[in-house]
Amino acid sequence: MTDSNHIIAPSLQHTLDNFKDCIDLTHRTFPEINVHLVYFDHLINSDELYRYITPLTEAREYEIQNLLIRSQYQLALDSDTVIKGILYGKIAIFHKDDTYLVDAYKPEARSIDASQTETVITGPHDSFTEPALSNLSLIRSKIKSSHLKVIKLEVGEISKTDLYILYIDGLANMDYVKELVERIELIEVDAVHDGNMLIQYIDDFPNSIFPLFSTSERPDTAISKLVAGKIIGILDGSPSVFTAPSSFFEFFASPDDYYQRWILGTATRLLRFAALVITLTFTALYVSVTTFHYEMIPEALLLTLTESRSRVPFPPIYEALLMELTIELLREAGARLPTKIGQTIGIVGGIVIGQAAVQAGLTSNVLIIAVASSAIASFVIPSYVMSASIRLVRFGLIILAGTLGDLGIAMGIAYIVIHLCGLTSLNTSYITPVAPSYFNDWRDVFIRAPLWAMRDRPSQSNTPNKVKMKQKK
Amino acid sequence: MMLLVMLLLIGCGDQRVLEKLGFTQTTSYDLDPNTEESSDDEKQGQQKLLISVTIPRTRTENSRELITATAYTSKEAKIKLSSQTELTIVSGQLRNTLFGLSLAKQGIWEHIDTLVRDSSISPRVKVTIVNGSAHELLSKDYSQHNRTGKYLDRMLEKEAISQTVPEITLYRFTRDFLDDGIDAVAPIIKQLDEHVSIDGIALFQGDRYVTKVEPDDTLIFAFLRGRFKNGEMSVDMSEVGRINEHIMFSSMISKRKIKIKTTSEGQHYHADISINVRGSVLEYTGKLSLDNVEHQKQIEKLIAEYIKLKTEEMVAMMQKNNVDSIGLGKYVRNKLSYEEWKNLDWRRIYPNIEVTCNVNVRIKDFGKFVNIEQ
Repeated sequence: MTDSNHIIAPSLQHTLDNFKDCIDLTHRTFPEINVHLVYFDHLINSDELYRYITPLTEAREYEIQNLLIRSQYQLALDSDTVIKGILYGKIAIFHKDDTYLVDAYKPEARSIDASQTETVITGPHDSFTEPALSNLSLIRSKIKSSHLKVIKLEVGEISKTDLYILYIDGLANMDYVKELVERIELIEVDAVHDGNMLIQYIDDFPNSIFPLFSTSERPDTAISKLVAGKIIGILDGSPSVFTAPSSFFEFFASPDDYYQRWILGTATRLLRFAALVITLTFTALYVSVTTFHYEMIPEALLLTLTESRSRVPFPPIYEALLMELTIELLREAGARLPTKIGQTIGIVGGIVIGQAAVQAGLTSNVLIIAVASSAIASFVIPSYVMSASIRLVRFGLIILAGTLGDLGIAMGIAYIVIHLCGLTSLNTSYITPVAPSYFNDWRDVFIRAPLWAMRDRPSQSNTPNKVKMKQKK
Repeated sequence: MMLLVMLLLIGCGDQRVLEKLGFTQTTSYDLDPNTEESSDDEKQGQQKLLISVTIPRTRTENSRELITATAYTSKEAKIKLSSQTELTIVSGQLRNTLFGLSLAKQGIWEHIDTLVRDSSISPRVKVTIVNGSAHELLSKDYSQHNRTGKYLDRMLEKEAISQTVPEITLYRFTRDFLDDGIDAVAPIIKQLDEHVSIDGIALFQGDRYVTKVEPDDTLIFAFLRGRFKNGEMSVDMSEVGRINEHIMFSSMISKRKIKIKTTSEGQHYHADISINVRGSVLEYTGKLSLDNVEHQKQIEKLIAEYIKLKTEEMVAMMQKNNVDSIGLGKYVRNKLSYEEWKNLDWRRIYPNIEVTCNVNVRIKDFGKFVNIEQ
């Protein structure tokens, strides 16, 4: 009943027209009290439905008007609001000429579980789930501060998925917030299904093999990024929360590092960087050494190597590519199968194929060790996305090693380093704090210094409030 | 695209796939005995060499391949050698080179030079002289030991740790050979029935073998050549006047200093070698008591006297043969200006310079047993 020209007044007929051919729409009529209910049954909680509707159905018609004045029933003034409201899990109540909306949203969701992809030994085990609001509540409940600001955006021209951008006022650099919001607003796509998909739309370098924004399923990780002055994005329907800006080295940190004593944390972190080197170069090194650089091998090892190689009919590079391919097949097969079958795959692949390949003379057993250890090392990297990127890069290095030997490996690694140097994440250098060098930050990148020694927030977030800890004396 | 090109190009280039290679582990150089006798009037370079290489194989434990060729140069031999085997012969895993005595007497520099020039050969390859025929020593399988090549290599390494022989690599040999004022040395080994044993240290003048230090005296040579740790020496005290007394002196740490004094004319040199030895007494058979501090001093003196006697004897021997294996010339050179050194004929002067050795010995400990009654 508004007098505005552009706004269409809500009416039952208009609403039903809009949802024509949507057979999942529920339309209930209570003729004796002149009330029509329109809602999606599967979006709402039936308890809530009865809580709101029962008083209406039990009342007489003249009482209805008084009941609807109550605050949970919102008067809707235009048709768009009504339609959107129904889509967001509200119940539209049409009474005479007035339309009211009541929120009974309760989508199907799983409960909060321990994270499957980012497990820790100690520390909190809860992880994000699909509904953005429940994820938001996980963060809100742990940062009890009014400085935690939330911007709500929508992505997906059709899906209209909610996206919440979180940052802490006074810690986050507002230029980055603005830049991120601008980039998200530029996305024009039908639907975005996951945080890891969303970050590809806002990438600085869409063709790079490396992920430029880190994603996490863990609330404690998200919170630590927030208080570091970074920006968090929660996409409705995705348990992966992304951080911007991110650096290459962030992908090698795990919350576990901080929950252990610093010496252990440092050791584990160094182990991960060692794993990075192993997974990148171990198989490649095997190939280059057996193809070109026999001088590099100690005499005792040389003879075992020669012996195990002597039955293999292929040059080392084909041998290595074959085994690497097999292990990638196994991994991919295992990832797509239910856990129980996955285990069988592991046994069949790991033991049977490995053993049989050596006995059949298809590969040398030293190569099996090289391939297996570089595969294991790749799983040491905490971020699945990063570990997958690095596994792929490894294939390039193996081919280079098979064609140019150690020179090829050196060229390959040089190319990777050059490529990394050129990358940016939200216009900040991807390899901060190495370039540009902020040596203060190194104690939270290459080692995990004692907590008391890490007094500043990371330089990459370019925060207006640098100091995160003051020593009490 | 780049990937495609690379995949297609696999197989080009100088691949050396492991199982197709024959790694020469040890090479021996001899003068060919068939031409040796008639060679006196021939020129050196035309003399035939007998070159053998061993290639470790994996068919059975300790199996190896030994191939031999005669040729004028070692690279020519390589072609002949490689025509005898299905493997590509590569020298990147070379560990030891053996030179027969007859060849060493003629000079080995041209062979060392080839080895040093080859970039695939490590400068840490050992240079060893064989008292007798290197080929015969190498071709024999010593059933109680590892593969012959490995056996020699490990033995020389172990002996070098205990200072019995110096560890002479291509690098060190070349350095001493090219340096003014020092002559090269090399360990010398000889073949026994079922074993190979250290036969002392070969002393070179230039690149020619001149004489050797007897195996019993190698430690004395070590005192003179430089500082070392971890030596072991048996002292026969009868040489310093005490009959039937022996000392086993062990865990020695020795330091050597050389001072050169010049007389005012500048043509007369006097070398002062001071040697400082510390070590523990493992065994002593004799009348003195190890527990007694006075006696200890006496024993220290006796050992010092013994070492002094032996070292001076050895220096005299070297002067007689005109080999400056301990590098006195380097110290003389340091005293002089470049011009003076260039004008000095060191080879002529060396046999006549005066050398004195001053030895200082200290016993660190003498074991855990103390006889209080004495």
